[in-house]
Amino acid sequence: MEPITGKALILACSAIGAGLAMIAGIGPGIGQGYAAGKGAEGVGRQPEAQGDIVRTMLLGAAVAETTGIYGLIIALILLFANPLVGLL
Amino acid sequence: MEDANFIVKFLDWLMTFDRKALILAASAIGAGMAMIAGIGPGIGQGYAAGKGAEAVSINPKASKQATLVMLLGAAVAETSGILALVVSLILLFGNPIVTQEGAVIILVASALGAGISMIAGIGPGIGQGYAAGKGTEATGRRPEYQSNIIRAMFLGQAVAQTTGIYALIISLVLMFANPLVKLL
Repeated sequence: MEPITGKALILACSAIGAGLAMIAGIGPGIGQGYAAGKGAEGVGRQPEAQGDIVRTMLLGAAVAETTGIYGLIIALILLFANPLVGLL
Repeated sequence: MEDANFIVKFLDWLMTFDRKALILAASAIGAGMAMIAGIGPGIGQGYAAGKGAEAVSINPKASKQATLVMLLGAAVAETSGILALVVSLILLFGNPIVTQEGAVIILVASALGAGISMIAGIGPGIGQGYAAGKGTEATGRRPEYQSNIIRAMFLGQAVAQTTGIYALIISLVLMFANPLVKLL
């Protein structure tokens, strides 16, 4: 087996880190699902207010999405623009 | 060292690497760990969004007030996600550990610990989001008490934030003012 270089170790750990960062996706998934459920419940109760209900729901869900996007950004940085390899 | 156990072998193997490589590798894992905190705001803000939809359906006339409270509460719930993002970006782009003196194993573990510490952000994220949801619900029911509701919500959210701040402090200490290196 060829010896593992320091650069290889950093890149390997970057792969692990990128995967760990995406665990954050759990949150928006749960939260937005709850919002969607409540949205459906609301439209069922007041069908005439459908436009308002969906607008509020989408606005809130967009905010809930942000942390998932942060995780994605860190993962993409680790994969495609890794700043750590350059520091070696 | 023929009968050395797995952990000793693993540590011996790690020590065959350049010290910078080890610290940077640990920083990569730490940056990923920190972002796990994003679970919290995601759940909390989603709950607030759901309560927003519910409040508008119950009292469509209070749609604007309820939406305002939802967004204010969700903005507070976002903070722990932002703090985790900041720690992650520090580890990636302004890594303070790689230039430090001291035992490499301590610095490696500190980089990991700085990231793991930020996972605590899950708690404030969920809790503040719950408060935002209940504030939205209450505003939908009694829009005339909007300012009182917002005040109570912010007060509770401020208390919920404390553990997230503690985690940030530990993370920053591990990165910038590591007390462990001097103890060796």
